[in-house]
Amino acid sequence: MKHFVPLREMERADASRPLLGLEVRDLAPLPEPLASNAQREWKALTESVKQICECGLDNTCALNLPKPKDRTEEEALVQKFVSGLNKLFESSNNWTFLQPLLLTMENCVGCQTCADSCHIFESSGRAEVYRPTFRSELLRRAYFKYVKHGGALARFQHGDIELNWPLIAKLAELCYRCNLCRRCAQSCPMGADNALVTHELRKLFSQEMGIAPKELHERGSMVQLKTGCSTGMTARTVRDNIEFIDEDTSDKTGIKVETPWDVEGADVLLIHNSGEILSWPENPGAFALILNAAGINWTLSSELVGCDAVNYGLWYDDVQFARVALRQAEVARKLKVRKIVIGECGHAHKALAVVADRLLSGELDIPRVSSITLLRDIVLSGRLDLDPTRNDFPVTLHDPCNLVRLMGVVEPQREILRRITPQFREMTPHGVDNYCCGGGSGFAIMSPNNFLDWRANVSGRKKLEQIINAFSDCLDLDGPKYVCAPCSNCKGQIRDLIVYHDLWRHYRIGYGGLAELVVNAMRDVKPGFIDWEWH
Amino acid sequence: MPLFEINGKKYEVDEDGFLQTPAIWSEEVAQDFAATEGISQLGEAHWKLINYIRDYWKENDIAPMVRRMCKDTGFKLSDIYELFPSGPANGACKLAGLPKPTGCV
Repeated sequence: MKHFVPLREMERADASRPLLGLEVRDLAPLPEPLASNAQREWKALTESVKQICECGLDNTCALNLPKPKDRTEEEALVQKFVSGLNKLFESSNNWTFLQPLLLTMENCVGCQTCADSCHIFESSGRAEVYRPTFRSELLRRAYFKYVKHGGALARFQHGDIELNWPLIAKLAELCYRCNLCRRCAQSCPMGADNALVTHELRKLFSQEMGIAPKELHERGSMVQLKTGCSTGMTARTVRDNIEFIDEDTSDKTGIKVETPWDVEGADVLLIHNSGEILSWPENPGAFALILNAAGINWTLSSELVGCDAVNYGLWYDDVQFARVALRQAEVARKLKVRKIVIGECGHAHKALAVVADRLLSGELDIPRVSSITLLRDIVLSGRLDLDPTRNDFPVTLHDPCNLVRLMGVVEPQREILRRITPQFREMTPHGVDNYCCGGGSGFAIMSPNNFLDWRANVSGRKKLEQIINAFSDCLDLDGPKYVCAPCSNCKGQIRDLIVYHDLWRHYRIGYGGLAELVVNAMRDVKPGFIDWEWH
Repeated sequence: MPLFEINGKKYEVDEDGFLQTPAIWSEEVAQDFAATEGISQLGEAHWKLINYIRDYWKENDIAPMVRRMCKDTGFKLSDIYELFPSGPANGACKLAGLPKPTGCV
């Protein structure tokens, strides 16, 4: 076993070297022809970051957590952690996930089935600190000692732990080495959920100690609550940009597209991830064209937060999560729409369609459904005149974890693709057994220091391998290939993987959403909606 | 706070190398940051994009959509990558002194 690290090494104060010194040569091998290509160099952390910030875990740094000034400050932080730890196990303070957390604390038998299902553990060359139970075991020991106040017998049964600052600082970083994809939870014979452990720890750090990645909190959910969108767009900019997209889509397709705004009593309130509008405008453009063509009574909202399906709180903070979900539901209630349809965004599906069930009741409990099933119903209804030969290029499908594993939305996207893409091929494995893109839980928008190197080499490694293998019969420059990823976060990560490993230049592997493929196949539309311009 | 040092000057930047205080931007700052993109001298085309991005940002407090940028300036996205190798967001916007874009972009 490479990199074996005993659990209690986490308590070590030695700052001269990190617990795990990950080298590219340690990582799981890449498939050919990538293995023979020159690899981009993994940047080292700068000396100034190592001096100022806690970097004791491994050779990247996601949080830029400043080192405490003295022992008093360290002690205060440890006390806060212990206080937050206790709150995680109180029903008054953890109304969302207490029961599954307790089950996870009490029921792990240490069989390590989870380890074999974790893409990060496997890709890292089985680095011990990334083992799913490594993180959980730390929380479990802390639970039995600091929450249940177990004595010598508990220490013997569960193992001992000393919560000191070096451990807590490393643990904070370790919470951001898991994609929350829950593939481990699915494989656990006991029903333990190691991703939930990561999530609950992130919550403790954010809600009790104010520690969270800048991209998710300060520049994420806080920006969304203030301006209306996580991207910083105001309602006016959103309308302005969508008008631009309407014009652009009309020019490109030859079909006049107009987005309806704030239609009271509409059947469908569509909420996109606002990142789509800025970075992948062809996706909201495609949705507008399809919904109009299918005769759906739909609307977008120009209200703050009603124009952005994003809910980053889902990944790290229940309070931020609730603030955003309540505002989204309130927008739907005021508009008196019959249902909310969530655009191509995986975490927004989990937030609004699943976890918000714990929050929204009465008038706010408006039906919340996936756009993927709506697209499937439209495509299969025959309301659109579709010509699959327009999509006659190799297409593979990336399954966003929240859609497949969490919600069971597996077949609808395939029914669409089998209908409109003649060269569709599956990744192996896929559906509920899929691998995360490596950008899950917010990583796709996090690139501080050398974190991009880490997610392009470690968390994204499995997906990279799957993409290459799906196109193994056509890894050439003869024609473009399409990775269909119906999720903004996954798209961002897959774009970064393609750029980092040069897949567009070497093999013409591009990417995009699902709605774009539908429009590209519409016979009434000018050919070439997917224009293969790199974006 | 990380520092970006060039020609004897020091700029406070964030973890991604974006200017910490957009208000101190000047053409000289853009020229200094050009080194991070491997550009020795900013040409007319670079300035056209930088000025477009700044004007849009001043009015809307956010970076323009890439597609809008292409349409309004007449550059293709591949041209923008030629001019700024890190692309419109991490290259052009950084030289224009904008804060790093937020959200799933």
